[in-house]
Amino acid sequence: MKEELMEILEELRPDVDFENEKQLITDGILESFDIVALVGELSDAFDIELHVEDLVPDNFNSIEGMMELIEKLQDE
Amino acid sequence: MEINVLEWLEKSAEKYNEKIAYSDEESSLTFSQVKSLAQSIGSALLERGADKNPIAVFSGRNVMTVAAFHGVVYSGCSYAPIDSKLPRARIERIMETLSPSLILTDGENRDFVKGLGFDDEKIVLLEDAIKHEADGERLKKIRRFSNENDPLYIIFTSGSTGNPKGVMTSHHSLMCYIEAYTSVMKIDDTDILGNQSPLDYIAAIRDIYIPLLCGSSTVIIPKMCFSSPAKLFDFMNEKRITSVGWSVSALTVPVSLGAFEHGRPEYLKKVCFSGSVMPGKCLKQWQENLPDTLFVNQYGPTEATASCTYHVVTEKAEDDTVLPIGLPYKNYRVFLLNDDGTATKQGAEGEICVSGPILALGYYNDPERTAASFIQNPLNRAYNELIYKTGDIGVMREDGVLEFHGRMDRQIKHLGHRVELDEVELAAGRVDGVRECSVVYNKEKETIWLFYTGTATMKEIAVELRKYLPGFMVPRKIKNLEEIPRLPNSKIDMNTLKNLAK
Repeated sequence: MKEELMEILEELRPDVDFENEKQLITDGILESFDIVALVGELSDAFDIELHVEDLVPDNFNSIEGMMELIEKLQDE
Repeated sequence: MEINVLEWLEKSAEKYNEKIAYSDEESSLTFSQVKSLAQSIGSALLERGADKNPIAVFSGRNVMTVAAFHGVVYSGCSYAPIDSKLPRARIERIMETLSPSLILTDGENRDFVKGLGFDDEKIVLLEDAIKHEADGERLKKIRRFSNENDPLYIIFTSGSTGNPKGVMTSHHSLMCYIEAYTSVMKIDDTDILGNQSPLDYIAAIRDIYIPLLCGSSTVIIPKMCFSSPAKLFDFMNEKRITSVGWSVSALTVPVSLGAFEHGRPEYLKKVCFSGSVMPGKCLKQWQENLPDTLFVNQYGPTEATASCTYHVVTEKAEDDTVLPIGLPYKNYRVFLLNDDGTATKQGAEGEICVSGPILALGYYNDPERTAASFIQNPLNRAYNELIYKTGDIGVMREDGVLEFHGRMDRQIKHLGHRVELDEVELAAGRVDGVRECSVVYNKEKETIWLFYTGTATMKEIAVELRKYLPGFMVPRKIKNLEEIPRLPNSKIDMNTLKNLAK
């Protein structure tokens, strides 16, 4: 899953070091329109349904946070 | 008759004194605090040699920055707000145009400003300036010799040659706009405004100046809320925000992220949107969720103090609704011209032109581009009347209401920002390993595409572009092609590229 997620993120923002950035939202590295694009991509790629309550900084600040969120939603 | 925005500040400080004027997530300032801080800052700047030249301001997204702006105005100068997160090369070009005699910076940005090559001689630290004693006599003298055409601020915007243009606006223009806007939006001292726009960007002028005129309060909404719509609505409810003037994309993002599943901004009664065309299906959701709220579509460029026309939405939006841009604000004259400088017939397409006291003073330190864009009205040979040609195409309906029909050149409105596609192309063409390139905008998906030939990788290009362009201007889709498609006459085949950009 990590590989697939990395691929999506790299395509979205090739300039960002997703392995090491841990404050993607809090530091404003990902912008609101990146999140819109990302939500669409994640729903398609992992067959999950993201709700507005999931869109909080903790879930998107780092690649680990995103993986946790995807796993949680896949279990639902 | 008031001729200086500080008269507004002083009147409201007297009337509302302990009421909150500005607040952010962490702190707030009352009207009387704003006044006394600004007087201290103004006096500190004068002490350090403020001399009518613009003062660059580097400061964060918080209430002190607003006080800093007013402080610069007390010193008799204009302020040029600059976001230190912009690419360094861009900031250097801006500073070259500006050649400020002083730079006002908060502690957080001080090292950055020093890194740009400015020494302590030129740097005034905001945290020190607020402790300076207000020099009433000196401030009074500055005011006595001010007039309403004195420059108030310089806001930098995208230029097709790659050099940002500094639009300089006077006190009088700003005051005309704020008066016109607040009367359309029916804003008074019970309103709480929610600021979305970055403080260095043109749309923030409403949030900065409306409190001074109307006694309302402005809440600076944390940037992070705009990627987290549930948080955004919770924050707006907690702060009881009643009125917003936002970019269209700030309204479309929460809708596409499903914010209304979570709740709604309960107190929001007045919404003005501008910056690009509002999609019908987004407006429909806002209207359905906020049935008693006033919605206003505003149109206009930075060069005419952010605006030209407004349309109070009376229609019930459907998916395919396209709003007109409406009628001129008070004190604005808006009309259409043909290519040859003749008047456009009603119902036909022409270039939207604007004149009146809301015209900017021009592009700072750039007489050529100023002369090209601010011209004598070709319909008027009798006396001096400057107009600004917007480069936008419009059609005047029979009832005098204006419709927007796109651009004459390659400027686009992207996520609330003005972007010259030529500028993006120019920057991409300079990247090592890029042979040829062309930029296309997919309006529906709000995505800038870059097509290129050459050996550079997508990542190399994206990283390199971010050194020169602000984030919103960097193409989100970058595709390598064997060859750029061309028409028989050797021009780039834009239609083929547009089809690829889907």
